[in-house]
Amino acid sequence: MKRIFFSLQALAILLGAAGCHDALLNMEPESILTTTNYFRSSSEVNKAVIGIYSNLQARRMSDYVLMEAPSDNLYMSTNSPIAGAGDIDGLTVTPDNNVVAGFWESNYAGIYRANQVLLNIDKPTDYTGNAKNQFIGEAKFMRALFYFDMVRAFGAVPLVTTQISIEEARNQRRASVDDVYNLIISDLKDAVDKLPLAAAMEKGRASKGAATALLGKVYIYRKDYANAKDLLNKAANDFGYNLVPNFATMWNPATEDNSEIIFTMKYVESVNGQTLSTAFIPNGGVYNIVERGVETALPSWSLNKLYVAGDKRKANTITDLVVSPTAPNDPPVFYPYVSKFANKHLYNTSGLDIPVIRYADVLLLQAEALYNTNDKAGALTALNKVRERAFGDASHNYTAADIAAPADFLDKLLLERQLELAFEGERWFDLVRTGKFLTVMTKEERLYVPANNAAQTVTLTPQSYMAVFPVPQRQIDQYNPGVMDQNEGYKK
Amino acid sequence: MKGRQLYLFGLFVALAGLFSTRPALAQDAREIKGIVVDSIGNTPLPGVTIFVKGTSNGAATTPAGEFTIRAADNAVLVVSYIGYDKIEVPVSGRSSIRIVLAQSKTMLNETVVIGYGTMKKSSVTASVTKVENTILDQVPAGRPEAALVGRLAGVNISQNRSQPGQAPTIRIRGASSIDAGNEPLVVIDGVPGGNLGMINMNDVQSIEVLKDASSAAIYGSRAAGGVIIVTMKKGSAGKTRFNFNGFAGISKARVHDDWITGQEYYDYAVKFQNREWLWANPGADVSIPVWGDARRPATYQVNPVINNGANVIWQDEVMQTAPIQSYNISASGGTEKMTYYVSGTYKDEVGTVQNTWFKSYGVRANVDVKASKNVTIGFMLNPSYSKRRLSERVVSDYAKIPSFVEGKRANGTYPRPRDYWSAVVSGQTSPAAILNGTFSYGATFSNLGEGYLKIDLAKGLSLRSSVGSAISYNNSDFFQTSYALSTFQNSGSDIVTSSINMLNENVLSYNTSFRGGHELSAIAGASYQKNRSKGSYMYAVPNSYVNETIHTLNNAVIDQTKSYTANSAWGLVSYFSRVHYGFKEKYLFSASIRTDGSSRFGPNNKWGYFPSASVAWRVKQEEFMKGITAISDLKVRGSWGVTGNFNIGDFQYLGQIKDAVYSPNNGVIKGQAQSNFENNNLGWEKTKGWDVGIELGLLKNRIQIVADYYSKRTYDLLYNVSVPSTTGFTSGLTNIGDVSNKGFEVELTTRNIVGPKFSWQTSFNVAMNKNRVEDLGGVTERITPDAQGMSWILKVGEPMFSYYGYRAIGVYKDAESLSKYPSLAGTKPGMPIYQDTNGDGSITPADKEILGNFQPKAILGMVNNFTYENFDLSIAMQASLGAKMYNYENQFYQGALLGAMRRSLVQDQWWSVSDPGNGRMPGSALSTLTRQAGSDIYIEDASFLAVRNINLGYTLPDNGILKRAGINSFRAYLSASNPFIFTKKGFHGYNPEGTTLGEISGIGSKPGYNSGSEPVNRVYAIGFNFNF
Repeated sequence: MKRIFFSLQALAILLGAAGCHDALLNMEPESILTTTNYFRSSSEVNKAVIGIYSNLQARRMSDYVLMEAPSDNLYMSTNSPIAGAGDIDGLTVTPDNNVVAGFWESNYAGIYRANQVLLNIDKPTDYTGNAKNQFIGEAKFMRALFYFDMVRAFGAVPLVTTQISIEEARNQRRASVDDVYNLIISDLKDAVDKLPLAAAMEKGRASKGAATALLGKVYIYRKDYANAKDLLNKAANDFGYNLVPNFATMWNPATEDNSEIIFTMKYVESVNGQTLSTAFIPNGGVYNIVERGVETALPSWSLNKLYVAGDKRKANTITDLVVSPTAPNDPPVFYPYVSKFANKHLYNTSGLDIPVIRYADVLLLQAEALYNTNDKAGALTALNKVRERAFGDASHNYTAADIAAPADFLDKLLLERQLELAFEGERWFDLVRTGKFLTVMTKEERLYVPANNAAQTVTLTPQSYMAVFPVPQRQIDQYNPGVMDQNEGYKK
Repeated sequence: MKGRQLYLFGLFVALAGLFSTRPALAQDAREIKGIVVDSIGNTPLPGVTIFVKGTSNGAATTPAGEFTIRAADNAVLVVSYIGYDKIEVPVSGRSSIRIVLAQSKTMLNETVVIGYGTMKKSSVTASVTKVENTILDQVPAGRPEAALVGRLAGVNISQNRSQPGQAPTIRIRGASSIDAGNEPLVVIDGVPGGNLGMINMNDVQSIEVLKDASSAAIYGSRAAGGVIIVTMKKGSAGKTRFNFNGFAGISKARVHDDWITGQEYYDYAVKFQNREWLWANPGADVSIPVWGDARRPATYQVNPVINNGANVIWQDEVMQTAPIQSYNISASGGTEKMTYYVSGTYKDEVGTVQNTWFKSYGVRANVDVKASKNVTIGFMLNPSYSKRRLSERVVSDYAKIPSFVEGKRANGTYPRPRDYWSAVVSGQTSPAAILNGTFSYGATFSNLGEGYLKIDLAKGLSLRSSVGSAISYNNSDFFQTSYALSTFQNSGSDIVTSSINMLNENVLSYNTSFRGGHELSAIAGASYQKNRSKGSYMYAVPNSYVNETIHTLNNAVIDQTKSYTANSAWGLVSYFSRVHYGFKEKYLFSASIRTDGSSRFGPNNKWGYFPSASVAWRVKQEEFMKGITAISDLKVRGSWGVTGNFNIGDFQYLGQIKDAVYSPNNGVIKGQAQSNFENNNLGWEKTKGWDVGIELGLLKNRIQIVADYYSKRTYDLLYNVSVPSTTGFTSGLTNIGDVSNKGFEVELTTRNIVGPKFSWQTSFNVAMNKNRVEDLGGVTERITPDAQGMSWILKVGEPMFSYYGYRAIGVYKDAESLSKYPSLAGTKPGMPIYQDTNGDGSITPADKEILGNFQPKAILGMVNNFTYENFDLSIAMQASLGAKMYNYENQFYQGALLGAMRRSLVQDQWWSVSDPGNGRMPGSALSTLTRQAGSDIYIEDASFLAVRNINLGYTLPDNGILKRAGINSFRAYLSASNPFIFTKKGFHGYNPEGTTLGEISGIGSKPGYNSGSEPVNRVYAIGFNFNF
């Protein structure tokens, strides 16, 4: 049969048209960069590092579905349903949950980008100054952050630090929680060493201070309070971070870059904006904020009622909107919405940054570390700093007696974290790491009806296995049989 | 509604009656003798009918072909015989007449185009179906495909969207590819890779479809979806002939008539709100007044404003009766040395949805010159330009607006539901605002061109060398005013794409015959094709237009993160050969081989080989069949072949690096990230198939049957296979997986009545196809979930992209029934009961099952042609059986957000324990949407029977007046498209073929999903066709 082809090709040459043969078959793409011609310069590595941040930037705006909706801060609206979000909200997550799967997949895409930078870091030869170390530090910081989110959400997960083939991937088992944390800690230690100070970095990129703070936070999750204290003290004292006097400063695009922000995801209105601001706005829109909202989720009464008079954070966390009547006979509607990210913006493309770690978080973590290393006075000071900023004076400060018992301290601390960091993706993980979710999450008060002087309350049944989400079924399906197992409690 | 159609139909018939001819005056008749013979063999023909024109006086020939008839000297004899052209013979005073009849073209000596050549139909060894353009150009439709519906067995043409100028989906013998498309290859006058939108049906001579793998294999790498060969009209030597064909008519959408308004609407709104309240708060006291009582939460109140509204049925508000017109004029003719055909067409179709239209202008020219004894040269040009205005939204976005919202107010504003009531109802923009404030245009300029040189090298041996091109230039302009969007932000874009496809083909053909009945024909050729494409994609920053008067982007800020330009290209090198051998026209054998090299595949797998072989035995030619006169023709054939598919994007095998934007320091930077796997082994997707067929003619071919059974298997699928996301990606394009299609087709043509005055011919076809996923590369299923709960599954052993979800077996009527059946957490009375498929006593995702498939099990077509004297009537019908639609559109009309409601979708719902509906339709609200949407509640049987076209024509008798006016023939016709469509009870959509997310186009496909495809249009047109 081959002979026929040869003679056909010979015929073609006779016909005088074979000159273009190779040119037709081996075309070079004009408009596409490919793996074969990339990572050739320091500037290209820089662009690849930007690509890692881009991954988190895209994910961060919907983190609330996984990190806030299961908690008592937020409940999902039925007006703009997100597939699977209702189950997360109601603590009835199943392995085929869409949001959980998306979170898993997004993080590994981010990890891949970080790994690519680290694997190709030696290719360029034109680095100047500390650029190479900076890129390594950024990639490791980001890889650690992705794995930290993975281990908090899923527990044991596959650990990938190099480029793997599909076959290798199908056979790769999960690493233990300890192994995942070991990588996170070693990556962050290296990042602390290699990253420059924030002043030398562009806003929105990782810095030495950010790596220090994140590592301290990781130690808190490990209950390694000695190391946590060490790192968090550094983060609190060595980098010039402090609380901005006015809580509202952070939630305004004009002042979003300030001394309280340690690491944040940056957005630019209309060209590289986030959808989070619009997501929480009621469907009808809010005057002077945005013409129309998506109303994916609403603030719970469980949280709303905790803000006491004088707490200035309330105004920048929940707005107790009362929809005014359109006709004289219409009753007003009590319809609170999450206003933390509500600033005047264009629909679904807000420029407001979404912080990942900020100074108030560090102070509260520091308080936790100090308390657990028997520095109750230090813990009280750190906790009260946050309260004083919230109320504008010391009138609402806690006393040593308030936190004398460890259980009381934990309650106060978690309350403060809830009030301060509401909707920033901390609440659910805080409830889980302290085990509190088993008691706190048995019910959630949702829409408050003033006329009835009561809120609609849902009853939930938290189970200890819910401390982690299920491994996405659509991922398990990709593994060779028996390789990827499901988390306890989600097995059928 | 139906009554009106019958009335119209009656009117047509009555009108037709006005044109009937007056019989010629009879002169003295006398006896005339004669004989009728065949034009080829000069053999006498028995049983030929002969009538004196305008009378009922007739005769038939004897076995010796002789006849006797009484007729006047100036009479005309009408002579007809099955399989032969009907002719008229003037007596002219003769007493003995010899009449020669020629076999008609529709018979066995008909030729068919088979790709790089033509062949006598009787010699064809593969499954090829053909339709001639007799009245196809008189079907009032914007696109040529509409005329083919129901006429080709195994070719399913479905109009998924009814926007003007919208291309339909064409599937030949089922779909087999997941990621590389299933469109057939269109070859227009030898130039492969065009599309039917480039041509005008007026210029079409015939359309052939190569259905089986063996016939399509000569087009190798692109033929897996079948091949459609379009042969355009050419001139012939003789006086210049002008032809005019034009029609004008109106189209009207086939709409729903069960929208509810006023008090009825209000009553359902109250039921709806009470149900919502009870679901959210089971202790709620629904006896609390629905309005103005603070004990009832505002979100569950009902504002009386909805009962005092404008009573607008928005479906009707946005629809219009729209004109359609089309005119074509052509001239053809030539001399012995040169022939030509030129034509021009103008077509204008206005959409039944307001502010939509389609206009097209086309010119076509064919010139063939016999330059010398051995050399022929020629060229063709076919430029066309079309422009359309589109509706950006699906029709449900218009129809779902509640009736209390009025249209444009006197002050120029468009009220929204929320302007009447600030809570509960949707914040959506008025449909009138969307339609008037959206300016979405698509324009296409295309040209097909080819120049060729044909040299006769020796007896039977010729070389044809051609250079062709298909050029297309597309422009999409989009602008939306701020008032047209719920966000009050203007937006716009300008997208220009162009592609130039150059083709050089060189084909040597050889035909010969040897003594003893051997016939041999062969071709060998080489083809080189290159496609370059270019795109420029420009977007405005939202709300950046300086004013809303100027819609182009010079009036806005260009969005730097989205806007880009890109070039791309592909190349294809092919060598091919085919040999056809026949012995005594009895035993036929054909074999071909093609090899294609494509730039689209990885360096390790660029070349693909596509062989084929086929045999046929013309049983009727055997001696032993001579005596069996009932069987007039019999052929059996069998074929096997391999075809390919390369319809993936360019350079997909490379690991591509794409933009990944981030904004450090609030400065937008395009970062970079790898977007897909590199795969140097990426290669062809292939389809291997066989076909056995029988062609049978009975009773002198008054009954002709063609039946085929085929089986094909597509393997090495270009399939974006799922991979663990730890690789960095969730899928990678590989060659993995198998899909099969097996099916059965029958074409039956019967000449029911053949008379001098009245004839009736029926062509019927049926095709059944069974699609099956055979292998998915290791996994047994792959599921694509939709956000609202339904999933589409690829599962080994099942048809591709079947619906996958819960089966609803009823509705939880009350708390008691809720405890009787297992349920999902959070289930309340009024929600659907899911089948506990695995019987484990609880409802889990494991209970999901396959709920049907979008592909029809059988498609049927029937065309009836009647002639009565100078009248002719053609009725084309189509039926589709067994397709299921996921009619998600229903949920918009069930009460959610107190939008528009349809009676048939609300009256059977569960409303409360005491008002439980029909026990099958659960309560539907956004709060429970996934319960319905994730089950088979919205899966509807989309079977239908449609009369696609009725064409009634009248040809003016040749009475001398026309001749004097210089007109050779004149035909007037009335044509109606889609006059009747019958769907199953329980089907709620506008269009049984209407889907909004396309067909199979990659792993995330949701075929069969309908969220508001436009209504089918009924079109009534009057037309004239004459030549002079």
